[in-house]
Amino acid sequence: MKLVRKEKDDFVFDIGKREKRLLLEVLKLYPLIPTAHHGVNKTGGATRSAENQRLLEESLAERKRENKRQLLALLNDEKRFKETDRGCHFTLGAAQMEWLLQVVNDIRVGSWIILGQPDEKKGKPVELKNENARYYAAMEFCGYFQLTLLGAFGGQT
Amino acid sequence: MPTATGSDEAGWVQAARVENEHTWTSSLPGIESRPVLEYFRGMVETVEPVVLPDIETEKQAGARSELEPGYLVICWDDPVNLMDYVTHVFQVVFGWPKPKAEFHMLQVHNQGKSVLTRESMERAEHYVHQLQSYSLHATMERDR
Repeated sequence: MKLVRKEKDDFVFDIGKREKRLLLEVLKLYPLIPTAHHGVNKTGGATRSAENQRLLEESLAERKRENKRQLLALLNDEKRFKETDRGCHFTLGAAQMEWLLQVVNDIRVGSWIILGQPDEKKGKPVELKNENARYYAAMEFCGYFQLTLLGAFGGQT
Repeated sequence: MPTATGSDEAGWVQAARVENEHTWTSSLPGIESRPVLEYFRGMVETVEPVVLPDIETEKQAGARSELEPGYLVICWDDPVNLMDYVTHVFQVVFGWPKPKAEFHMLQVHNQGKSVLTRESMERAEHYVHQLQSYSLHATMERDR
């Protein structure tokens, strides 16, 4: 998948058939991060922390519902994918790129959580098993799609 | 309100002059011999109020942190979020230029965390929610 041109606010990507299938399959995993995963406060010592946590979870859940709705609309919008000889041209607006980036990162981080939060720097490698192998693949694919999207944003952010 | 001096004397003042001059006196002691017109004449003079500014000794203002407790928005390192992604999120959420966003991203990466901003509780909550919606590990701590 690579950016072929930018037309006003639209980004047009060239995406192969297998890449497209892979992207759509990975996107079906969304959302993967449990809303309770993040805490507002590292130590739990701030005032109103319980209320903050509840607000955060509500806010994230609402955001994810909205992202899921947009994602389903995207996956079912065939006009976004124009067939070419080698695959298709995939068109996204700047705002859609932004939320797709969030969605893809949710899948990447969620996969990492399911894999037991491996950390090579701390000597905690991934423990691959048959049950979690697809999440390892999803984490890597999401990283690849993210870099493509970020590369397309390029110098404009 | 019209004034009652000279040619500008208002109609109601002239009427009072005709009706009351030499015929009406006040019942207040000490001014019984003075006709009512004298009082009108007394009223027509405009006295400029003299208001002097109060002089108060200003109390020494406390430091901002004493007056308004602030909250620090902190982003923590994790081994999963891509460095380019973190930079992009900082740019989007805070509207920072790329060099500043990269500076904080590298601080997160090298030092384990970066204090991104100091805000009121509501603003800090807003930023934490924004950063966490991008799946970054962000928290807020009260500034001591």
